[in-house]
Amino acid sequence: MHPIEVSQIAKSFGSIQAVVDVSFEVKKGEMFGLLGPNGAGKTTAIRVILDIFQPDQGKVAIFGGPMSDEKKDRIGYMPEERGLYQDIPLERCLLYLASLKGVPDQRARENLEGHLERFYLAEHRNKKVKELSKGMQQKAQIINTLLHQPELIIIDEPFTALDPLNLQLVKDVLGELRDQGVTIIMSTHQMQQVEELCDRILLIDEGKNVLYGDLNKIRQRFSGHAVLVQAGGKLPELASIKEITPHNGDLKLSLEENTTPQEVLKELAASSINLEKFEIAVPTLNEIFIQVVEEGDTK
Amino acid sequence: MKRVLSVARYEYRRNVFKKSFLLTLLSIPLMVALGLGVGLLLVSLENNDRSVGYLDQAGIFENPIPPPLSKGEEPVDFIPFQTEEEAMASLEAEEIQAYYLLPADYFETQRIEIVYTEKPGENANRQWWDFLQINLLSDQPTEIAYRSASGADVTVRSLDGKRSIADSGPAFGNLMPLFINMAFMGLILMSSGFLMGAVAEEKENRTMEIVVTSISPLQLIGGKLLGILAIALTLLVSWSLIVLLGIFAARTMGIGWFQDLGMDWGVILATGAIAAPAYVLVSALMIAIGTMVTTTQEGQSFSSLFIILHLIPLYIAFAFIEKPDSSLAIALSILPFTSLMSTAMRNLFFSVPNWQIALSVGVQTVCAIGAIWLASRAFRLGMLRYGQRLRWRSLFQNQGAGERGRNP
Repeated sequence: MHPIEVSQIAKSFGSIQAVVDVSFEVKKGEMFGLLGPNGAGKTTAIRVILDIFQPDQGKVAIFGGPMSDEKKDRIGYMPEERGLYQDIPLERCLLYLASLKGVPDQRARENLEGHLERFYLAEHRNKKVKELSKGMQQKAQIINTLLHQPELIIIDEPFTALDPLNLQLVKDVLGELRDQGVTIIMSTHQMQQVEELCDRILLIDEGKNVLYGDLNKIRQRFSGHAVLVQAGGKLPELASIKEITPHNGDLKLSLEENTTPQEVLKELAASSINLEKFEIAVPTLNEIFIQVVEEGDTK
Repeated sequence: MKRVLSVARYEYRRNVFKKSFLLTLLSIPLMVALGLGVGLLLVSLENNDRSVGYLDQAGIFENPIPPPLSKGEEPVDFIPFQTEEEAMASLEAEEIQAYYLLPADYFETQRIEIVYTEKPGENANRQWWDFLQINLLSDQPTEIAYRSASGADVTVRSLDGKRSIADSGPAFGNLMPLFINMAFMGLILMSSGFLMGAVAEEKENRTMEIVVTSISPLQLIGGKLLGILAIALTLLVSWSLIVLLGIFAARTMGIGWFQDLGMDWGVILATGAIAAPAYVLVSALMIAIGTMVTTTQEGQSFSSLFIILHLIPLYIAFAFIEKPDSSLAIALSILPFTSLMSTAMRNLFFSVPNWQIALSVGVQTVCAIGAIWLASRAFRLGMLRYGQRLRWRSLFQNQGAGERGRNP
């Protein structure tokens, strides 16, 4: 039994088919990236998972079964539409929202104390939410998601409006939670963060699964027949190399079909150049994302 | 239930601990006090307690009997003068406000002269005529003289003898159901802002999506409704305390109408029993409307509609006076919106049967429960439709799959 099992869900709104056919599982204690271009159906899929929308077809199992009030308390959700009560002090707002999750007042206060300190918001606890900066409100949203110590976190664009220091802080917190066995679904357009944090991903486009699985395996699958090289001096002309192109400060060597990277490495090592870097060229998630979505658009 | 109470407590604190609420709380009693104050001021300006003189050349006041007084009324002194010069000197010295001259041929002519520099007070004038009347009857036994001077005293009673209104007008207690109606309408007007705001706040702050992943829409709506009911109760209790203080002050000051309140607790209880679910009904509908419309202003226009519906019985008041047990009167006493005012008005002239009150409470309660369901359904459908209107028809479509509609 996985914390989330989504099987062939579909959801339409009038004539608009927001989700056509999406299936995936999220394993306990993993950080799962839910990716897709704008309008791909990510938010609708999340809302279906959380029982805000009922699917037109398909099944969703949360902690092994349908959603219940008890299960809602085990989930922390930070939606795409940011929402906190603007006209009340931060502390009161967070305690109220925690009370709706069934957290006893004393425990909520104790948890909140730690989070406010950790996120550098302790001195702002009595300020009205609307008086906080965007970055502070974003951190307050994250605290709200974590305050009731959920087992499953669904978090949409957690890094928006954060400076590098706070971005690292949020990444650290999410990493710690994963290490403690908390399951995290993260939806974001920041591919670099997904590459850094997520174990597995699902890429949705036009309401359908496009890519799904282990992130490293997906990247390997998309790696071309090429290597990245940094070298002192001019590269020798080798029969095994089809084309040399610059690539982010490196040289990308596209190999002939019957050649292996090991053979090229041997040839380069035998030449007179000073080889500083040699690695198999694996595309970034960003490149894979663009490639897959563009392929989808041209179909 | 704990979470419902949590929502209710939040809603209560959000609205009550504000300066604007204090203004709301005090506005109605202040307006009433201002109205009463202006009225009392006008009356006091019309009255003049200074003495009044008279010259009795007709021999009516040989052994003067004082005039009968209304409850709480201050007596005006009537001073006899032997000559007109003495009376005039006293008038000019402002010892008296006027003097009456009863000529020797009064019984033939029935003419009296009055001399004044400024128009005398209404109370002085009224007491003078009572004074004259009772002394003209001085040859009669005192009781008969006073009774005659008091004039007709008609008490209107209902056929079953359970309702009566004295000649002096209905007692405070008779009008109590109507006061409850006024308070009810005041509450609707006052709380419409709270009710609309309760939903609008969630939409405007984009908190809907977080809240509904913690509690169900029904729990959220129930909690909000409970919180606003508590606010309404706070207003009612505060207003009632202020009214009680006012009554106490009026009784202490000896104002006649408040001496015998004539409270009929059975009628008051029945009115309250209908008012409670009727208020829940209107409140729940207002929350539903707040969820469906796009702006708070648009929603508030609906509160006027509820007031108009509530006032329908007033427009056909003659029908209630003429026949308070007619089919129309019974129907309006049971139907939602018109029930409270109809029952209150009928109770003025007629003892409304208990079965009709019980049926009315039942109908209001069922409608209130239905309205709560409707509100939670409207909320579930409209909660994520920022800036979009929800249609009534869609509330009753796709039973059990309430989220279908346009993508928010």
